[in-house]
Amino acid sequence: MMLVKIAARNLFRNTRRTVTTLGTITIGAGAVLVFGAYITYIQYAVQTNAVQRTGHLQVFRRGYFAMGTAAPGAWGIDHYTTVLSLIQQDPTLRTLSAVVTPMQLLAGIAGSFENNTSKTFFGVGFVPSDRDQMEQWDEYGTESRGLKRSGLRDSELSKGITGIGLVRILGLCAQLHLENCPPQPAQPSSDLAAEETPAPPVNLAALTSRDKPADAKASAAPTLDLLAATAGGAPNVVSLQVANVELQPWKELDDNYVGMNIGLAQNLVYGRGEHKATSIVVQLHRTQDLEIARSRLLALFREHGLDLEVHDFTELNPQYNQIIGLFGSIFAFITTIIAVVVVFTVSNATSMSVIERTGEIGTTRAMGMRRQGIRKQFLVEGSLLGVIGATLGALLAQIVAYAVNHAGLTWTPPNAGAPVPLRLYTNGAYALIGATWIGLVIVSSLAALLPANRAARLPVVDALRHV
Amino acid sequence: MTTTSNNPVVALTGVFKTYTAGEVEVPAVKGVTFTIPRRRFSVIVGPSGSGKTTLLNLIGCLDTPTAGRVVVADQDVATLTDNAISDFRARKVGFIFQNFSLIPVFSAYENVEYPLLMLGVSAPERRRRVTSMLEAVGLADRGRQRPNQLSGGQKQRVAIARALVKEPDLVLADEPTANLDSHTGAAIIELMRRMQEQYSTTFVFSTHDRQLMSHADDTFTIRDGLLVDHVTGAAS
Repeated sequence: MMLVKIAARNLFRNTRRTVTTLGTITIGAGAVLVFGAYITYIQYAVQTNAVQRTGHLQVFRRGYFAMGTAAPGAWGIDHYTTVLSLIQQDPTLRTLSAVVTPMQLLAGIAGSFENNTSKTFFGVGFVPSDRDQMEQWDEYGTESRGLKRSGLRDSELSKGITGIGLVRILGLCAQLHLENCPPQPAQPSSDLAAEETPAPPVNLAALTSRDKPADAKASAAPTLDLLAATAGGAPNVVSLQVANVELQPWKELDDNYVGMNIGLAQNLVYGRGEHKATSIVVQLHRTQDLEIARSRLLALFREHGLDLEVHDFTELNPQYNQIIGLFGSIFAFITTIIAVVVVFTVSNATSMSVIERTGEIGTTRAMGMRRQGIRKQFLVEGSLLGVIGATLGALLAQIVAYAVNHAGLTWTPPNAGAPVPLRLYTNGAYALIGATWIGLVIVSSLAALLPANRAARLPVVDALRHV
Repeated sequence: MTTTSNNPVVALTGVFKTYTAGEVEVPAVKGVTFTIPRRRFSVIVGPSGSGKTTLLNLIGCLDTPTAGRVVVADQDVATLTDNAISDFRARKVGFIFQNFSLIPVFSAYENVEYPLLMLGVSAPERRRRVTSMLEAVGLADRGRQRPNQLSGGQKQRVAIARALVKEPDLVLADEPTANLDSHTGAAIIELMRRMQEQYSTTFVFSTHDRQLMSHADDTFTIRDGLLVDHVTGAAS
């Protein structure tokens, strides 16, 4: 305690130098914490988007993830309702899970008979109520929304949602009264194209007319005809009423996306055969339970002899780890630069102090202080600089975070379709604050080590002679 | 606590000390042999550059001889490690410096207390000894003041208190009056003499002021690194 008391007094012998040094450490600590808080928020926001879209875990038929995406119909989970029940009724998974729901993926051609347009599409079949529940997941309070409410009902089999790009390409903007959605320009004429373009192989409208439900005919909403190959390889067509459009996070998806009731997707892919599901989505209440849930799922499948595989949201969203990795690298770079600046500042301040107090070092050594006592004294001074600077830095970060969080700033996270409030997560970021604080104290102490050693090695007589 | 041994507190035998300045060797002490008896008030005199301070540094275990043997308080200091020498100084030797050398961030009280902290003396015992020592040097009411709030004479009194508070076998004072006016210097010498008698310890101080020699029990005269005279006065 006496060492700390002496160190504190020595630090403020040269107030200007100490304040400058503390200022450097404080701003450094503040910068690390603010950027760390920003990255924490980014991570949470990106994770929230991913988990809202894909859940924490998805169960697939073994091999689908590596090979099956080209033909989802051929890789469906057999008797998926049994698997679904198994998961829903398992005591462990029931406690951990917020939503357990099937999903059917498909691909095909979407056509608008009225506009004589068609476009390949990427389809997702889901249970609308489950999807809307998944969209509510917000463990970290980011208010991020990876999905919009579908506006669909479980009972409305023929309704669906599409990306804005898809309806724009199909020329449905006017019918849907969409803003910022230009009308389709006239197709560029090309004699060559006219000669070489074959006639559409199938009249989609004629094919689908017999399957159209009565309510679709009565509605003013535009209708898409979806053509896809069934699991058996035969072409199949269904009609989909565009009930809603939703901007997708990236253009390629926006130009191809069709979301629909899983029943409609299964009708398209499996026809009158056994309906399967591409995956079973498991969204947990808390991300930290992911490994427990994964282990339990795998154990459950082993117990029941099910040949299924489980993938988590980081595997399903490869960009998640890329984004976190990128920000992690930037954070490491900034932290390293700040650590180097702190090392030089503290080292310089301590060196100056050693020079100024050389006579005093001689006196205390003459009085019987060991070399390590001198070394310890300067190390404590370096550590104290770190402690005070890091503590002030933590306070500074809280102030900056408060200001930013109340400034009404927004941003659009990667993979999100809409802007969300920008937040800096300093409250509760105990690991970040603790690591920064401890790190800076260690860096400051190490920075003082060299001049402290120099002070300790001074010959007593030389130190006493120093003026 | 001072020892009860009757051996000389300092015994120098054939001590040499040579400094190296660049490529030049400068002999400061050239084969000095003498002893300093216990519980005496001894003075080393000589002109500037005669080797007084070097001798005091060797006696105080602040420096090591180039050759010869230095025994202080029955301890051959050549046999001690660096840490052991530090511990030895902490227990056995008190220093009073020409420029006072008080710790500026400490109050007078804390400066006197500091050697006891190094020795791990308990807080109540420290309080008792420091208070008593400050009273003895006439600074009982100045304990809270920092060195920059004290006069030169007061600073040297604090330094005397600091040197004596651990009850050392030997107190070394290197020209303790050099930075004081003659009146204050005389008062400090009086105080040192009184404290030496009161605490029954050994004082060795260096000076080039021959007027101060009248206070000494023993006077060692050094010139050009050699002991040229030793006068024994009245025993204390």
